Amino acid sequence: MSGWPKNPKQLGKEHLRYDGLVKVTGSARYASDVQPAGWLYAMILRSPWPAARIRAIDLGPASSVPGIRAVVMADDPPFVVRYCGEELAAVAGLSKQACLDALRAIKVEADILPFVAKEEDALRDASPRVFENQPNAAQPREMQTGDAEAAFKTADKTVEGFFQTQVQLHNCLETHGNTVKFGPDGVTCWSSTQAISSVRDGLADNLGIPLDKVAVISEFMGGGFGSKAGAGVEGGLAARLSKEAGGLPVRLMLTRFDEALAVGNRPSSFQKVRLGAKADGTLVAYQLDAFGTAGYASGGATAAGGGGAGFPAPYIYRVPNTRVRQTTVAINAGSARAMRAPGHPQASFGMESILDEMALALGMDPVELRIKNDPSEIRREQYRIAAERFDWKAKYHSPASSEGPVKTGVGCAGATWGGGGRGSEAEVRINPDGTVEVRCGTQDIGTGTKTLIAVVAAEVFDLEPSAISVKIGDTAFPPSGGSGGSTTAASVAPAVFDACQNALADLVPASGMSVPTGPNWRSAAARLRVNPIVARGRWKEGLSSKGVGGVQMAEVEVDTETGMIRVKRIVCVQDCGLVINRLASISQINGGIIMGIGFALYEERILDRQTGVVLNPNFETYKLPGAADVPELDVILQDMPERGVIGIGEPVTIPTAAAIANAVSHAIGKRVTRLPISPAQILGLLGKTPGITNPSRGTG
Amino acid sequence: MLSTPESRFLAGGVDLLGEMKDYIVSPKRVIDLKQIPGLDQIDTTTDTWKVGANVTIAELARNDAIKANLSGLAEAALEVGSPQIRNVATLGGNLAQHSRCWYYRHRDLRCLKRGGSTCYAREGENKYHSLFSGNPCISPVVSNLAVILSALNARVRVQRAGKEVTLSMEELYSDAWNNPLAHNSLRPGDLIVQVEVPTQKNRSAYLQVGEKGDFDWALVSCAVAGQNTGGRLSDLSIFLGAVAPVPYQVESPLLEGGELSKETIESIAGNIASKATPMAHNGYKVPIAQALVRRALTRVIS
Repeated sequence: MSGWPKNPKQLGKEHLRYDGLVKVTGSARYASDVQPAGWLYAMILRSPWPAARIRAIDLGPASSVPGIRAVVMADDPPFVVRYCGEELAAVAGLSKQACLDALRAIKVEADILPFVAKEEDALRDASPRVFENQPNAAQPREMQTGDAEAAFKTADKTVEGFFQTQVQLHNCLETHGNTVKFGPDGVTCWSSTQAISSVRDGLADNLGIPLDKVAVISEFMGGGFGSKAGAGVEGGLAARLSKEAGGLPVRLMLTRFDEALAVGNRPSSFQKVRLGAKADGTLVAYQLDAFGTAGYASGGATAAGGGGAGFPAPYIYRVPNTRVRQTTVAINAGSARAMRAPGHPQASFGMESILDEMALALGMDPVELRIKNDPSEIRREQYRIAAERFDWKAKYHSPASSEGPVKTGVGCAGATWGGGGRGSEAEVRINPDGTVEVRCGTQDIGTGTKTLIAVVAAEVFDLEPSAISVKIGDTAFPPSGGSGGSTTAASVAPAVFDACQNALADLVPASGMSVPTGPNWRSAAARLRVNPIVARGRWKEGLSSKGVGGVQMAEVEVDTETGMIRVKRIVCVQDCGLVINRLASISQINGGIIMGIGFALYEERILDRQTGVVLNPNFETYKLPGAADVPELDVILQDMPERGVIGIGEPVTIPTAAAIANAVSHAIGKRVTRLPISPAQILGLLGKTPGITNPSRGTG
Repeated sequence: MLSTPESRFLAGGVDLLGEMKDYIVSPKRVIDLKQIPGLDQIDTTTDTWKVGANVTIAELARNDAIKANLSGLAEAALEVGSPQIRNVATLGGNLAQHSRCWYYRHRDLRCLKRGGSTCYAREGENKYHSLFSGNPCISPVVSNLAVILSALNARVRVQRAGKEVTLSMEELYSDAWNNPLAHNSLRPGDLIVQVEVPTQKNRSAYLQVGEKGDFDWALVSCAVAGQNTGGRLSDLSIFLGAVAPVPYQVESPLLEGGELSKETIESIAGNIASKATPMAHNGYKVPIAQALVRRALTRVIS
């Protein structure tokens, strides 16, 4: 079905980054580096209260701070703020210090309102309401297949568990923000975004100006993970400040502090799970009662389709009888946004944990139990490949049986994702001097989209990727979608391929050469004289597909005296259709696994019950895995070129935490029930902490 | 000029600039110490080594004489921050650094240590907090060097109101045990100029457990030092960090005996639990402290 070349010269090989040199030398200009003439710094004043009625905001003292050029209110008082960090006002001026001084000069009159910071508290009737007129808990979503109640009665084994996952922050290394120039001819926005088209739509809508007056540029950006799909409140404020400042460009990049409050997160989950199976391991019944928080809006107002705190259940396995009930509960905290495989890592942790409990109850090897119940032929095969590479059979001993205080354990987990393509366009220009330009209105979220475009064009023209000039990240270029849902490669590559083939079809008659590619390229192009060839192409069926599977196996060491966990090795087998750039694919998978390690062991937004503030709005106490925490990563790409291009950005981060949690549980012989897995939880589970046997909540 | 809260000294700036950026302190004057001659020297010519307050943490970690004779000090230095931080942070600044409690450091809160009325950590998120405290504030001392230098019986020379005074490590921190507002016993205008480290204790070790493998604060740290004379250990002392507002000494009559059997070590470590008063989320520090005491002692005697 695939129209891709059968014996490619470039596709699937290892290619260095198209823009690697400019990135490592610092000459690449990110949104936070752009400095158009006359630009101003800008900053946002945020609510220090988790809930308050704002009666009045006096911007006067801020306007008179030396160097300040513009001040705006986020909204006209009176209005209500519902989380620490909600925007109150913004200022722009000649220096960062002027802005800092101006923020402190703004006077806000507010009535402080009661608030709720913890999910369990918010569920109680007596709890303060985030919105006065509605209960904190949204109407539960219920789903049923078969008859779970009856099926549990037929089960030979039933296991139960209560699993919790934390709120995780995106914490992109480049913070959110834009540089916006509101001029008489329209608005130009240099944006750190994963969707230039959505930023354009959002700004036009927000400012009430026509689309043809808005240009959005994102030449380089430093990570989004789902949280940078729009201009955001900060984009609108920057535009208004620019207008107020007489059209001077305004650079409003958020601080690391801001990032922890107002630009998205992965919702928490609290999952009461019950699973029933026959003695031979066949799953027959599944029941889930779950709740979690997506912040103040109960998930109703999340950007990029983040939705509520729901997740797919039961995750990936075939269970004929299920009863699922999920609720999203509002708390006074910043709203969730789509975060790398929304819902899936939480779902995976609950399901894979209870599955390992079932394996123990049945006395079955966990891999065998998965192979028995996984409907995906691809994943069943991946388990076989991974088990051999990992040496699973030799390593899977009876729980907690390794010698000495440092115990080793192994665990596994699987994942699924869509990752298909959709309507993207691209344009190719062949110049008479032989240079090639590819234009596409996509953006590089950091996955190597520019390199991918160069490789595809080089393949069609039989050139080296370095001979291709790639231009993306500008709404003036042919439209492409946002970089979300692992769809970019599968959307852009076919469009570029199509455009290149169309260009080649024009070059043949124009040059009079039947094979103008490869060594003939320059002489063929020269025959164009003054007329370059410009050809468009678009995504079409047959060059991409969707639906990938992946499995991971983890090996860990747990020091049972200190509770310290060290991940020794992760083996990942990932289905990825047609690989375009092998080096970038493996690199992207490494990144996904490392993010999964963060979810498993380190990362957690800590919201204080007494004050409603985020206590760890920095990299000192919001802990991300560092180089010392990264184990041996062994990635096996399961090539299936016949399927065409499929995205893999998201699936690879899904099963890591579940595999690690299973490995830790295997090592110590006690079930890990909460992420991130801390020394405190380990020591509590082992009965070594005075007065605590299983720290279920809080900073565990 | 120096003796007002409106002036602060700046050496590496790692601690001070962080507090200024969060508006925890807003001094009118910042006095640069970096150019003061001689403050970055290590003098090893006598039995008591004199280490200047401006010596960087990186230097303490890589100095051959320190590695050979005061290995615990080098080990503690190597666990401080990241290479970038160690390259600028100084000995004096490390000892004088302020609380890292996340309530204290939060720009929108005013906790007990900041002059407010409540220690939020007591009823709140206290996984990083003290097991022992003599006052309502439970933010712990986090200086690695304070813990090992306490074990080594170091003394600190401080410029105070035009004179020089010498403080024991215990004296340097004792105010923090009693007074919720204090991070140490230094008064406004006090300047640490030198640390005197006796070299009699020729066996020492420093161990810590952090959440991450590198570039992280200790959840608990432990330093042990003693004198080895012909295979016999004497003058052993054990200090814990990150469990009290001061370096916390683990005392035991068993340390006097010289011969430390496995059972003796177990008993010394076991004693910690009975004295600690854990909060809701920091009880796990007790078994970690016990494990570190066992391991550090075992290393020093082996």
